[in-house]
Amino acid sequence: MLEESLASQNGIVTNTNSTYIDTDGNSTVAVDVRSISKIFRIYHGKNPSLKDAILKGKRVTYEEFLALDNVSFSVYKGETFGIIGPNGSGKSTLLKLIARILVPNSGEIVINGSVSALLELGAGFHADLTGRENIYINAAILGMKKREIDKKFDEIVRFSELERFIDTPVKNYSSGMYMRLGFSVAINVNPDILLVDEVLAVGDQAFQSKCYQVIYDFMRRGKTIIIVSHDLETISDLCKRVAFLKNGKIEDIGNPIVVINKYRSYIEEMERKRIIEQQKEERKKIFKSLVEGERKVIDGEEIDKLSRVSINGEVVNRFGSGDAEIKRIRLVDKDGKDVDFCKYGDEVNIVMDVLFNTEVEDPIFGIRITDHRGNIVYGTNNRLNNIRSGTFKKGDLVKVIFSQRIVFIGGTYFVSPSVGYKDTKTYCDWVNNMLTINVIHHNRAEGIADLNSEITIEKISS
Amino acid sequence: MISNFKKLFSYHELLFSLTRKELKVKYRGSALGFFWSLLNPILVMLVYSFVFSIVMRLGIKHYAIFLISVLLPFNFLSNSVNYGANSIVANGNLINKIYFPREIIPLSIVLANLTNFFFELIALFIVLGIMGYKFYIYLHILPLVILVQFFLVSGVTLVVSSLTVFFRDLQHLIGIIMMIWFFGTPVIYPLSMVPEKFQFIMKANPMTVFSIFYRNIFYYVNYPEELQFPTLKVILMAVVVSLFVFFLGYFVFKKLEPRFTEEI
Ligand SMILES: Nc1ncnc2c1ncn2[C@@H]1O[C@H](COP(=O)(O)OP(=O)(O)OP(=O)(O)O)[C@@H](O)[C@H]1O
Ligand SMILES: [Mg+2]
Repeated sequence: MLEESLASQNGIVTNTNSTYIDTDGNSTVAVDVRSISKIFRIYHGKNPSLKDAILKGKRVTYEEFLALDNVSFSVYKGETFGIIGPNGSGKSTLLKLIARILVPNSGEIVINGSVSALLELGAGFHADLTGRENIYINAAILGMKKREIDKKFDEIVRFSELERFIDTPVKNYSSGMYMRLGFSVAINVNPDILLVDEVLAVGDQAFQSKCYQVIYDFMRRGKTIIIVSHDLETISDLCKRVAFLKNGKIEDIGNPIVVINKYRSYIEEMERKRIIEQQKEERKKIFKSLVEGERKVIDGEEIDKLSRVSINGEVVNRFGSGDAEIKRIRLVDKDGKDVDFCKYGDEVNIVMDVLFNTEVEDPIFGIRITDHRGNIVYGTNNRLNNIRSGTFKKGDLVKVIFSQRIVFIGGTYFVSPSVGYKDTKTYCDWVNNMLTINVIHHNRAEGIADLNSEITIEKISS
Repeated sequence: MISNFKKLFSYHELLFSLTRKELKVKYRGSALGFFWSLLNPILVMLVYSFVFSIVMRLGIKHYAIFLISVLLPFNFLSNSVNYGANSIVANGNLINKIYFPREIIPLSIVLANLTNFFFELIALFIVLGIMGYKFYIYLHILPLVILVQFFLVSGVTLVVSSLTVFFRDLQHLIGIIMMIWFFGTPVIYPLSMVPEKFQFIMKANPMTVFSIFYRNIFYYVNYPEELQFPTLKVILMAVVVSLFVFFLGYFVFKKLEPRFTEEI
């Protein structure tokens, strides 16, 4: 036990000779995470006890859990860097390693500059002491000198808006007030590198917007910020680069739109799997009740539940007779290049290639566009546009082009193409979400479509 | 080791700040709080005085002074160790969220108890002055004795606070160990009552050596015929053992420190 305890060692290096040097001779990397791994021990049973260790000679048994697996990345100076990922993926662990609260099992982290971690607000507040006393202690814990605290004290109090309560013991504070005081102290520490873990959503609306002001202010002053959050809107608003962590590994890193989309589709995938499991259970239940209740009748709700899953239990992503097959679908810009994103207002073509396996008369080629929540945003087909497609023979390869101007608000949209029979009810082929379109847009509006309103304001009388 | 001390020094403001916090919490921010904290040694003193000067009649003049002159320094040790043992675990929230050299937590407890000890000494001086004790004669030795004891107390506190993180039931054991240590140190009885052959073993305990000094300074100073300072060899041994315990404690603490966060 002791032996093993002695083995771990400090893996943090405060840098002096970095390899990343810009033209002014300054290092441009603020945090360099190099092949970091972190192993936690999950003990069997309760805490190891001395009694058991000595009297029964029992060895402490534990399992090792790899919380971070060979993670490497760099955060550059002045950059706002986001970390996203599902629960338990290791985000907080990573921040704690950067903050030197935890020590890695292997690898090293090179840090240029002073670090302050907002992992929890008001950590270390003592309930019996007043707001004033706690400011001094908390600021000292965060690394401020007494002189600095004296200088900043009024500012801290002003920011927290707790002037009237500053000489009241913090045990009488509401939890919001507690957090405000914690936040006010933390942001006045003024580090070069700020680590933020899920703490931006504190206090009421007014205080929250103040918190964001502070973060923006930090960004303007060229500070490096690393933010962990489940609020993907915040991340995409604030961050220049984003890392997607999954099971302790970096799944993707880079452009926020791309990485966040990847994360979103991962969540959707997981959600789908969960729903499938749930539906399987329901099917089992229904069948069981049919058998046990010796019922022959299935009610409408049950039919609905049963029909939402295919026979082998997968959510139907593609269906149809197969008389025609959608081979490929692409987004093509006006220069004819394949793209996976476009800007608001761009003219783009959605091009699908269809192969016919038998003769089909007047098929209907359609597209349906949904947003990331599954809302139908737009749908059209040649029939709705009064265009007859004609008859196709077996082996015909057909290219169908939908040209339009994209007037969506920024975000991710999915295109589901279809080839239907002329009865408008049955399909040769239908593929769910076959194409993803990322729309880049300065958010001047909310919702789905940008109607590009012109706004005039006139005074009618005074 | 040296770089660790340097870092510790760079955090000295935090150390003092946490020490102040400990004291504030202890006294609840009032002078009355300090007198309240005196209640414990006074009660202990009354109980032992009753037992040893009225029931068992050891025949020691001014038994209360005899006792309190060593009880206070011993309390400095036992309070530090008892409160310090759980300090890392109790401050888990802090350790889990903010980086700073962790030894600051147990050391702030030792410093708070040292400060408390100083206040108690001032109260003792007042009482001694009223009773006409010439406690000022050997007072110049006192700072040195306290300094050496400080190293011993810090070392023990560092060890127990770090080990308690890994063995939570150590706390219960510590109470028993401190009781044995208390009775193994001449606090309630004079060393002269101990049979010669045990005296040597007892002197290996630095607390015994300190208690001889404390008792000389505060009590025997009024009974000069009883004054008996330890030999240089014994003194040196106490100093060496105390320093050794301190460095060992610091070493063990620093070795275990990296795993505190995840074990809490
Ligand atoms: N001290 C610890 N001992 C054992 N396991 C731990 C410890 N701390 C974290 N873990 C485990 O490590 C994994 C990663 O935890 P971490 O807190 O980093 O996740 P996270 O990505 O921050 O999750 P969340 O989104 O819920 O905040 C989890 O499975 C967690 O159970
Ligand atoms: Mg977390």
